[in-house]
Order: sequence, then C-alpha cells, then structure tokens
Amino acid sequence: MSDVLLVAGVAPQPGILSTAVRRLRETGARVHLVGAVDPDELAEDLQLDGLCALPLNIAKDTPTRTAARQVPGERVWSRIRREPWAREQARTADVLVALDAHAIYTVWRFAQRNRTADARYGIQAAVQALTERKDRPAAGALQRLANGLPSSSGLKQSVNRLINAAPRAAVNAVTARPIMRSRAGTQLWLTAVKTPKVPDSLRTKVAQQAAKGMAWADRPDGEALILTATASKLRKPAARARMMGEAASRELKAGMPPRDLDSAVKALLDVADQRHRADQNGGAADLLNRAMTLAFDRVLHIDQLTSPLAEDPEGFVAPFRRSLAATTVATPRGRRQPAAPPPTDRPLRLLIATSANDNFLKLIRSYYDAHPQVEVRFVDLAANAALKSVTWAAKPMLEHRLSADSTPYGDKAEERLRPYLDWADTVFVDWCVAPAALFTLVDPGTTRVIVRLHSYETLSRWPYMVDFSRIDDLVFVADHIRDLATTLVPYLRGPDAPRLHVMDNAMDLRGFQIDKPAEARFQLGMVGISQVAKDPRWAVEVLRLLRERDDRYRMLLVGGDMNPNVSVASREYLEAFNRDVRELEASGAVRRLGPTDDVPKMLTDIGVIISSSVREGCHCGLMEGAASGAVPVVRDWPFFAGRPNSARTLYPEGWVIGSPQEAVELILRTTATDESWRAAGQEASAYALREWDWSVVRHDFDRLLLDDPRS
Amino acid sequence: MTQSLDVSNSAAAGRSRRPHLIYLAIGFPPAAKSCAYRMRETANQFRRLDWDVTVVTIPPASWERDSGLDYSLLEQVDPEIKVVELPLAREDLETDIRKFSEERALRPAKWLTNLRKREKRIFPEPVFGSWRGTLEQAVLDIHREHPADLLLASCTPYVNLAAAWKLWETHGVPYAVDYRDGWSIDVVNGGQAFTPDSEAGVWERQILDHCQSLWVVNDPIADHYRTRYPHVANRVHVVRNGYDKDSVPMVRPHTPDPEAGLTFGYLGTVNYTTHQLGVVLDAWREARKQEPLLRNARFEIRGHIGAGANREANGLTELIREAAADGVSFGGPVRKAEVGQTYGGWDALVLILIGGRYVTSGKVYEYMATGLPIVSVHEVDHDASRVLDGHPLWTGAFGLDELRLVDSFRAAARMVVEATDEQRAGVRRHADPFTRETLMRHAVEQLAAHALAAPRDLPVNGAVVHPSSEPSTMDEIERSAGVRA
Repeated sequence: MSDVLLVAGVAPQPGILSTAVRRLRETGARVHLVGAVDPDELAEDLQLDGLCALPLNIAKDTPTRTAARQVPGERVWSRIRREPWAREQARTADVLVALDAHAIYTVWRFAQRNRTADARYGIQAAVQALTERKDRPAAGALQRLANGLPSSSGLKQSVNRLINAAPRAAVNAVTARPIMRSRAGTQLWLTAVKTPKVPDSLRTKVAQQAAKGMAWADRPDGEALILTATASKLRKPAARARMMGEAASRELKAGMPPRDLDSAVKALLDVADQRHRADQNGGAADLLNRAMTLAFDRVLHIDQLTSPLAEDPEGFVAPFRRSLAATTVATPRGRRQPAAPPPTDRPLRLLIATSANDNFLKLIRSYYDAHPQVEVRFVDLAANAALKSVTWAAKPMLEHRLSADSTPYGDKAEERLRPYLDWADTVFVDWCVAPAALFTLVDPGTTRVIVRLHSYETLSRWPYMVDFSRIDDLVFVADHIRDLATTLVPYLRGPDAPRLHVMDNAMDLRGFQIDKPAEARFQLGMVGISQVAKDPRWAVEVLRLLRERDDRYRMLLVGGDMNPNVSVASREYLEAFNRDVRELEASGAVRRLGPTDDVPKMLTDIGVIISSSVREGCHCGLMEGAASGAVPVVRDWPFFAGRPNSARTLYPEGWVIGSPQEAVELILRTTATDESWRAAGQEASAYALREWDWSVVRHDFDRLLLDDPRS
Repeated sequence: MTQSLDVSNSAAAGRSRRPHLIYLAIGFPPAAKSCAYRMRETANQFRRLDWDVTVVTIPPASWERDSGLDYSLLEQVDPEIKVVELPLAREDLETDIRKFSEERALRPAKWLTNLRKREKRIFPEPVFGSWRGTLEQAVLDIHREHPADLLLASCTPYVNLAAAWKLWETHGVPYAVDYRDGWSIDVVNGGQAFTPDSEAGVWERQILDHCQSLWVVNDPIADHYRTRYPHVANRVHVVRNGYDKDSVPMVRPHTPDPEAGLTFGYLGTVNYTTHQLGVVLDAWREARKQEPLLRNARFEIRGHIGAGANREANGLTELIREAAADGVSFGGPVRKAEVGQTYGGWDALVLILIGGRYVTSGKVYEYMATGLPIVSVHEVDHDASRVLDGHPLWTGAFGLDELRLVDSFRAAARMVVEATDEQRAGVRRHADPFTRETLMRHAVEQLAAHALAAPRDLPVNGAVVHPSSEPSTMDEIERSAGVRA
C-alpha cells in the first residue's frame, strides 16, 4: 500500500479536498494531510489516515521579521518543517503532493530528503503517479537507505542560504524594533538620511531600509518622518516628489491623515507639469495619478467624520486648478455632432451602464424593460473583461488626455465602446466615476449621454477626469450634491455645461407601508451602518441621552457592520462604536440585526427612523423608514449644514435637527402618546409616498429620457 | 532536434506521384481537444483525395498533462496517415515537482512570468514560442525525406506559422493556414489582439501575404481579416466547424418522463468562469423551484475541467459539487465513441459558451443536430446565436441575465414534453448542411486542387503567390440551406 502526503499552503475547498482524497484512496493509497486546514470545515465524508492541521494563514503569517521577508512558499515550509509528525510522514511517503502553489516549495524541500518519493503538483498528477508506481519494481533495502539521505546539491543549497542570510542579519540589527521605537533611534536615522554629500541613490536605499524598520516597529509616523526627511535632501525633483508622495501614502495606509499632504501633492503636480511640458506624458500621467490618489484617498474623505474637501471645496482643489497637467486633462473636448433627438419611428434604444454597482438601477431597468417605447440594453462594465480592463484604468486615461487624445489605450477604449455607442440612442451612466470618464473619453457621435452623480463621487477624483462637455444631461439626487459638484467643477456653471437635473432615486416605497405594533413607538432604528459616514455613534448618543429620560427607548440597527479591513480609520471607528454599544447591547437596549433582504419586515418594529450621517445624497434608508410610518429624525448632515441646500431643504420642516439633544426633544415630543406618534408617522409616510415613490418619480425619468430635450 | 522523427515506416515514402501534405496539427487525436475533430477530418479528406499526409503533433504524454486523451478518437483516423510526434510539451503544465528548479518551486508565479517572457523572445506567442526551433527543423527533415507539395498549419499554436514560413523560405513549399479562431483578433473579448506594427502583427502580415488560403470558422472573424488585410480578402475562407454525424443519436432513444425527472446536459470543455457557472446554477435552482416539470430534473455536466495541477480540482468542480442537492452532477469527460449515446440519454441541452460575436464553438452544431431543445448561456451577440437563429427548439440567448435564464430553463422543459417528432426532425434537417464531413470536403477539395494547379517552381522567398480565388466555401452551402450565418 502506498502512502500519500498532501501539503496545503492555503485552505483547500472542502469539496475539492474530499474528491481528491476519495480518488487517491480508490487507488488503494493511505492519505495524510498537513498544512492550512480548518478541521471544522472538513467534509463529513472525508477519510484521512492522518491529519496535521495548521493555522489557515501560514502562507501569510509573519510572526518574525524573517517571515515578513519571505515569499509565501517559504513561510509555509518554515511552519510545516517544525512539525515532527509532518517530517516523519514526508520521510516515509511514497507520493508527496502539493495542493496549491504555496505548497510546492514544501514538497520540493521534502523531496530533497526523501529521494524515492514522487513529488507532484495537483491531484490528477498524484493519481497518475500512484498508478505508475504500481507498475514499477520496489526499491531494495540499500537503495532505500541511499535514497533517504539528502542529496549533495541539497546540502550545498542549504549552506548558500545560510551565507546569503548574513547581510540581512546585519541590517536587522541596526533597525531592530527597540531602536526604531525609541526617540534616540528615530533621531539617529533622521540624521543618517540627511547626511550631506551622499548620492541620491544611496540616500534612497538607506531611507528605504530605515522606513522598513519603522514599519516593522509599527511606526508609520516614523516611516513618513524618515521618508520626508530624505526627500528634503534629494537633488532630483522627481525623486523628491515621489518620496514625499510615498511618505504621505504610508500614513494614509496606516489610516492617518498625512502631516504634509499639501506639499506632497504640490510637488507631484509640479513635476507632472514639467513632464507634460516636455511631452513625457507617460511620466506626467503617473505623477498626476499619484497626486490625485493621495488627495482623494478615502481615509481623508470617506472614512472620516469630516473632510477637508467638504470644509473648503475650492481651496482643496485649487492646486489641481493651477496644475497644467490637471487642467489639460480637464479641458473640454466637446462633441463633433450634437446628440440626436429621441427617435419617433421606433423605440428609444437605451443603454444603461454601470460598473458592478446596480443597486439604484433595478427599478429603472425593470420599468423600461417593459416600456413599449424603449428598448433597453444593460452593460456592467465590471462583468465584461474587455470593458473592465479599460474602465478602471486611471493612469492610461490620464495619459490619453495629456497626449492630445492619441494613445493605444484610447484606440482600445474607442474600439470597445463604439459598438455600444453605435447601437444606443441614449446612454445612461450610473455613478459619475470611472465609467463616466470612459464614456466621455471618446466622441459619442450622435448618442445622447446622461450621467447620474449620487454623492460620494464628489469626494473622489473622478469628476476631474470626466469630460463634461460630452455629457448632455447630468443628473443629481439632491440639490446640495449639485451645489458641491458645481463648486468643484466650474465648467458645470458655464454656458456650455450639460443640462443639470435633480431627480430622486428610484424607490418602490409602497411596499414599505406597514402597520406597526404599539411597542414600536419606543424603538429607534437605523438602516445601514456599514460606513463611517453613517456615524452610528451619533445615534447611540441620542439613545443614551433618551434613556436618561425614559429607559423604555431602545434601538435596532439594520445592516452589516462596517468592514474593518477597508482602512485603519474604519477599523478604529468600528472599535469605538463597539465600545459605545457594548453595555447597551448587553442590556438589550441595542440590537444589531445584520444584513437583510427584507427591509420592510425589519421596519415593522421601528417607530422612529434616524439618519445620523455626516453626509448623504438623499438617504434612501431614511426615506423608506418614513414611508413605513416611522417618525423621521434627521441630523443636519454636517458636510452640508448651513449651506443654501442641505438636509434642511431636502426634507420637510420638522424632520431635521442640529444636535443629539434636539433629537431627544423631538423624539420625546412626537412619541409622547400613541396617537401623536402614529399621527406623525402617517404624515411622514404620506409625504414620502407623495414625493419619492417610483410612481411619482418615474414621470421625471420619462421626461428626461423620452421627451425631446430641445423642446 | 527531432529524434522521434522516423519516416521509414511510411507507406507513402518514396511514392513521388502522390502529392504530399505536411499538416501541422498540434491537437491531433488522441488529444482530447475540441480541435481534434476538425484536424482528423481535414487529414482524412486529404487522404480521400489520395494525398500522402504527414501529421506533425506532440506525444500523448504531453496531452496527458494538458487536456487529456481520448484514444477512441483514433478509431476513425485513416491508417495511411503518418503521425510524427515531436518531443515537445508545455513546460508550465509540468506537475512533477522533482523537475522544478528551486526558483520555480519557491516563486511559481514569477517563474511563469519569466517563462512567458523567454517564450516571447523566440516567437511572439507567450505559451509556445520556444517550440519554434523544433518545429522548423521537423518540417525541414520531413520535406527532405519526403518532399511536400503543401503545408497546412492549424493554429493554435501560432508558432506553427514559423515552421510554415521556414519551409516556404528555404524550399518554396506553399502553405495554407487554418486559423480557426484567428490570431490578431481577440475572439473572447472582441477587438484586436495586437497592433499591425507589433512583432506578432509583422509576423501575421508576412504569413498572410504569401499564404495560399486562410481558413477561419465564422464570418465575423473572416470580416476582420478581410478588413485588416484587404489584399488577401479573396483568400480568406469561412470553414465552419460542423459536427460529426456519429456524435448525435439518430433516433430518439426514450420518451421524456418528467415524473422520473428530465435530464439536461452539458457536454464540452468547462472553460468558463465560476461567475458564469454560478449564474447558470442559480438559475437552474430557481427554475426547479418554479417549474413543476423540473421538480425532479437533473443537470449532468460532462467534459474536461482544468489543466495541469488544476485538472478536475478547481472552483468549478466545487460549485458543481455544492449543487449536488439540486440534481447537478459532473460525470467527467466522454470518449468520442460515446458521445452519441450520451446525448441520447438527455432531454435538453445547456449551451454554455464564453466570448461573443467572434466565437462559434464546434459544440453548437453538434447540439443543433441532436434535435434536442437548447438553453443558451452566452452573450446575445454571439456567433452561436446566428447559427441557432431559426431553430424552433432554442430558447434564445440572454447573456447572463439570471431571471431570463430561469425562463429559458422553464421554456426548454416545456419544449421537451411538447415538441413533436416532426419538429425534432425539422431541427435535424436544419443541421444537415453542417456535418463536418460535408464542410471539410469542400474546403479540402478546393485547397488541394489549387495547390496542385499552382506552379511547382515557386521562387524562394515568395516573390510569386498564386492564391486561391474561389468564393468562401461555406457561403454556397449556407445559401442553399437557407441558414443565416
């Protein structure tokens, strides 16, 4: 009977593993497994003859500095070689099998020691090896002994590895964690990287080593300090700008707003301008891309409760308005021909385009799918490999715009989009991000282009890469978003601007009308807590204050938690939020219901719906709650508070309050009695249905899409 | 370089009166590749015209690690065809770790990237470039032993073109190219695969300038070549894949029994994404819930999945396994000899294809010829849609729109129980013009006649070419059959 040792560098899918083991056992082999495996996840029918289950992250885990430097295959080997059981199995196995790419090196190393074993990659290959072994004569005792010794080449390689490790050890010693964490150590390295008369290349190399040491010591601020100090001493402006950008990027990666973002952005833009003047547009695009990536990083705008862009829109984008490269990109190209009016002799051909996110399109699609005057095609740019590769291609897009619209990338985009543009009378692009930039990269011919901008796009770089002169109609979901967009993009205020519309999101609110039980009167609720901008901590504060007055009030949170892996800032917010609600959850005053497909059902028990966000486009969750008959309590979204348009102009008077204390007063007043609560809820519901239900809003869409815009 | 080259046993060796074809057909039986059928028929047709045929391919062991083997495919290969197996194999599909260098074992992805770069330095094809030298030497050796009148290069791999060019350049042997899907066109995603001034572009231009004839499998690809190279437009011929008559059941073996459970089938290489298969399986689940006729239905998937280390062990097999409770199963590859029987056990077919208007697939013809209802899972603007247009038991193409796929499964179930024998016979008649034998016979006859009519003393370096100027072989057939294509 043969023995097979399977090695897993990453957790195998249970079904694949189960099938593999079954096939190997069918040949009469005993099957053993070592590596990344979760024993609880194994299929019930899995029949292993031996198992050494190790943590699932052995290919990624970097408990030591050596491991941090290793490639995944080495990490897997380092971990598995420590297991006596695995070594013993490897020594006696007839077939060694790598189940995945990260396990290959372990099998390769085992095979250096067990020289009679077959070493294979993949199950089919292992089955074949077992079959072939049956046809081979067995090795004699002496041969088995000789085969058990490591090969001479294996020994030589081991020695080489030891020698090569020595310089790394030296570097490790001078950048050890205690040194990098101490003030003296930081000062030492700051002095070192600023030593005069050192060539740029050497200075950069030393700085990179020191920065790595800081990273190892969990000091992203130290990394940024070292890199910024080094940048100040670099002679070449491009190298200096890149290193300043690198410093800022390390801080953002750690979830911190960079200490000197403005200088880094300016330096990158200056060099981008120089490159553009010299007609080196590949380099210019790269630098401009870096500047934009830094300035519009989500840590600054999305994962914070404030945003420098929202506080001072014009000031924030001023460096880009002064940059030659950035303004060249933003220069309107215009369209060669005006958009044709909707056809009168056949249905309108409507192409609806988005990239992955079709959350706000479903109702629109199903309505126009059934509309006799419209023929709909839908394209998800993320689902089509050819289109996806040209859509989120910021750098080639920038290079194309900088190179007078003449690059192979532009040709490719043209080639891939043209069949869609040729077919469509009207293209409706949802979200003013990469798809909008792509569709305005090419001349649309006579096709009318409509783009809808929701909200977060204004905090991204995409509005500076979209050619608004090729858009015929720009749709916003609220006035305050339109105001912000027109502030950021002055072209939208000019005489050649596209027609601007404010149209509510398509929502079927009739399905939300629900009879609520009397207990719902004391039940606050939020729908959607998955982003920092939703600021659920503000709502928890309202509940806390409320319960000081009346402990019958409780809160339901509908929707998944925010993803802590998106950014450090998100993780920190989530941790603080968890601390806030720990006791309230323990006492049952707060319940997190998680994600659901049935929001109307969840809203049954919610009597007061809260919008605690710092910014929103229109906040669909709140509107749905209002339609359900819950009393709306809306924070005056701070990003827009005090401006001509804000939550106060979007919602009726009486819904919007300025502080948690005001929220408490509003809630106590409206829920004072069952009658007052139900009356307020019914009024909110009637308002929501009258203003925002699809049966009303669809007429706006019909006018936009079907009427001749010239009339 | 060509140690395995041995022409001493060739029945045709030395008989100079019979014309000789060197056929570069990497994928020839027993390789279990979809192109094997086309290659087999092409070689057989040349034999039918009394040509000596030397097929150049790679050994079975090399296919073992690739798409696998099907020895039943050899049963219908003309025994007079000589097969030369070159000692070539895809290095990237090697599964014996003892043959790996330490660098490859440690950084497999980087090793692969470097391999691709090395291959491209030899010939602008990332997977097969390094085969160039062996192929070139092989055709020179074969020609020295048994002078050739024509070389036909079937691509992929495109490195075959280098060998065709070598023989033309050194001995003036005319050549034709069976591109099948085309090189400069990205048939899956649409658009051009490389620019005319790239290295591959220069190669393609050079090859097409001097080739006798260029075969492709459908009109959109032919249009691409006629547009890109107007000067060779009249040498571009559409030679559709077609189907083998023995692959489809001639009579319906059983009456559909919804009570016992209808059986839907997929037969072909499982080369699509997990996303695409996931949508199919989700739609299948939903259709089973909604449609009483599908309550006990089964969905059998047969064919090859994955290559190299991932063979039959990847995300696709996992998805299928997870759908076992919904009557979905994977039964592995089907030997060519058992294809007809397999179709005979099914009530309806599921046609899952990648790509768009430039992709036809050979499978669509075979599916059509079975006379069974067909559920399409591919782009609306797919060449298969053009082939199936007018097929009365076809549910239509709706891309990956899950809701519409649910409707398609339900509609197919109703077709299974409602279709009359007359309708099924009509469908089969619809497929009649597409038998592989018919299609390839026309194409080969034209090419052979032209090759023999052309002057034998073609100057070296190809200053003179006498290309075929007949109309596209399929056009007439399709017109007579009234099929839109």
